[in-house]
Amino acid sequence: MNLDLKAINQCVRCGSCRTFCPAFEESGWESANTRGRIIIMKGLTCGLSPDSQVLDSLNSCTTCGICTENCPAGVNPPELIENARRQLVSQGKMTIQQADLSRNIFTSGNTFGDGRDRLSWLKDRSLLAKKADYVYFVGCMNSYRYTDTAANTFGLLRRFGATMLPAEQCCGSPLLRTGFDARRFVDENCRQIAKTGAKTIITGCAGCYTTLKKSYPQDFQVESVPEFLAERISEIDLKQLDLTVTYHDPCHLGRHNQIYEQPRQVIEAICRLKEMKTNRKDARCCGGGGGVRAGYRDLSLQMAKKRLKDVPQDVDYIVTSCPLCIRNLRDAGAGDKVIDLVDLVAMAMR
Amino acid sequence: MIEIMQELNEIAGDRVSASPGERCCYAGDASQIMGMPDFVVRPQNASQVSRILRLCSKKLIPATARGAGTGLAGGCSPVKGGLVLDMSGMNRILEIDIENQQVIVEPGVVAEKLNSALKPYGFFFPPDPGSLAMCTIGGMISYNSSGMRSVKYGTVRNYVLDLEVVLADGRVIHTGKKVLKSSAGYDLTRLFVGSEGTLGIITQAGLKIAPLPNTRKLILACFDEAEIAGQAVIEIFSNGITPSACEILDRTTLQVLKLCDPLLAIPEEGDIILFEVDGTESSTSEAARQISEICQTTAKSVRIAVGRGMDSIWAARRLVGAAISRLDPTKTRIYMGEDVGVPIKEIPALIKKVQQITTKLDIPAMKYGHIGDGNLHVALFIDVMSEEQWQKLRLAADRIHRAAMELGGTVSSEHGIGLARARYLPEQVGTEAFSVMQSIKKALDPQGILNPGKMGFE
Repeated sequence: MNLDLKAINQCVRCGSCRTFCPAFEESGWESANTRGRIIIMKGLTCGLSPDSQVLDSLNSCTTCGICTENCPAGVNPPELIENARRQLVSQGKMTIQQADLSRNIFTSGNTFGDGRDRLSWLKDRSLLAKKADYVYFVGCMNSYRYTDTAANTFGLLRRFGATMLPAEQCCGSPLLRTGFDARRFVDENCRQIAKTGAKTIITGCAGCYTTLKKSYPQDFQVESVPEFLAERISEIDLKQLDLTVTYHDPCHLGRHNQIYEQPRQVIEAICRLKEMKTNRKDARCCGGGGGVRAGYRDLSLQMAKKRLKDVPQDVDYIVTSCPLCIRNLRDAGAGDKVIDLVDLVAMAMR
Repeated sequence: MIEIMQELNEIAGDRVSASPGERCCYAGDASQIMGMPDFVVRPQNASQVSRILRLCSKKLIPATARGAGTGLAGGCSPVKGGLVLDMSGMNRILEIDIENQQVIVEPGVVAEKLNSALKPYGFFFPPDPGSLAMCTIGGMISYNSSGMRSVKYGTVRNYVLDLEVVLADGRVIHTGKKVLKSSAGYDLTRLFVGSEGTLGIITQAGLKIAPLPNTRKLILACFDEAEIAGQAVIEIFSNGITPSACEILDRTTLQVLKLCDPLLAIPEEGDIILFEVDGTESSTSEAARQISEICQTTAKSVRIAVGRGMDSIWAARRLVGAAISRLDPTKTRIYMGEDVGVPIKEIPALIKKVQQITTKLDIPAMKYGHIGDGNLHVALFIDVMSEEQWQKLRLAADRIHRAAMELGGTVSSEHGIGLARARYLPEQVGTEAFSVMQSIKKALDPQGILNPGKMGFE
């Protein structure tokens, strides 16, 4: 296999990642921590057969990046793991869940395999301007599962001149995270973005954000909703809410893109913020990313339950800015207590 | 094999694996010593360990215990195959007994987690290796680990009061009592400490704990050369001052630390000694003043750090050993010749010899370590794709080991012998002493199933 041996060899097997890897915390097997995964990748270059256990090891990583943050040797394991997944997929080695997920996306343009119109939640399609400065990139989760959040976000961003793509496709994040080629979707979304003339794409999904920012051509600027709102918070007529909320840092906004302060600025403009036990670069993963929610639901929910233990007492809401985190934390028992940052803003709008 | 797997499943349920990928993950530690196990088992209690060892004894299967696999000498590498017992799942703190200043823990408890549990009581478990955040108590006991504060607090050996050990034939014994001292018979506890899993498998430990000091202060003294720094350390000890830590960081180490944390308040140039003093506010102030005064005669600069500034320096120091790739991403740190120790007054001579060895072989080295107890960590780093560099590395490591022995020192101060240093053990302790060790091994493990191939035993 064509893996980056130099990068793999940078790992000195010190085991620091054992302390942080959330998947390992649940599993206990060495193959479920970053060091183990790197050993397995090295094994693959020396003839280790990619059997189901090897696939489980590599695919049970949420790519949360907490190991990168704490690796003394400076290794970037999510990058290595995504590369290994890509190599394996190119050889036809994948789990059933990986195959299902990719089939959904390739057949329907969204992660759910949903044949419905992506904008069915939009009551008035005439609101879609053909030309605009900004494009709100909705993402699969908000298009099909959290349509109220999508509506709230569009309602907010439209005031600043945002439109949406008429036939948005999955950004490609789930494909890229799990080892597939997403060029088709990247190209199609880029084509539609170019048509709008927008120079800035705004998204409320952490997974879409990191993909648009890092895997798309650099023809436009990418902003997350928290960044966009933080910059314009004074322009929105908000009332103070008598609430105390906490904020969950999505891995792909926080550790992967260092967006820590902007969502907090927005929250603090509205209500009281009480931090989680682990936060910012140390925040625990919700367990949903990297294809783990799709592939290893039990493991994913166990991690989410651990994350909920970080929630401080007596908060009214757990606010975050990633629909996948919302989904996983809700399913792990938090229910409607988990809300999107935009929904908090919507509550505060006069 | 199928029959053994079935028996292991009966004992440990689904906590058994024979998959090639999992076995790969348990083939070694952070050293270069590797060996592929046939099975990996994650036992949950002493009874399971006992049944597993009875099975191993009956079928002559090698059994190698492992904690977090953070070792640096191949101690947990199953070089003769067989099964690896991953003890990290036995990770309960069974009792915190503040009145008796003791804790009872399972071997898989991570040292830092033990200290977090003790902190609210105002106590701690003093041995303080760089891997504190991930290494397990069982591993620390098996390798008589110590770390940065051993200069004042000693090694793990000073804190183990009682061990529950499963012997090779499956018998379970206790080596001590819940007392702070005992003169009843042979000191089996001390025998098992540092025995690297060759005499039995630890399933429980009674440990002495110590009250947390009220305050700590860090004195950073920067010198033109490591040798001069070494002289300053000798001077301080000769003046009757015992710091709680005394670490040397050479200029290469400082560069790596800066790369890890660019905001770290440490000098850019020179070799530095970190002296930590702990105790009451007045005693630490006085000790810090004395150390500063002594250092000022030969140091380029001296300053005192407290609070967050001190904590960030210690945090970076803990991980520096693994961080060397940050200096040159094409090179990897290889743990060989990394743990030598000499009598304190020979430290300057050791530093000089190490410098000569690495310069002559043209191999980059970072030198840091617990200079206060004579323990120097030499971090050699190479391009692992180059066979020529591997040869140089092996040569350098051998020369460093021999240099330490020539100075009356040891090839390992706290990382253990494993297989990486096995060939030096008879030379270091003498053939007669080594034959006594062999007799002990034979008496407790006549079939040689426990961690075979380590410490020079077959």
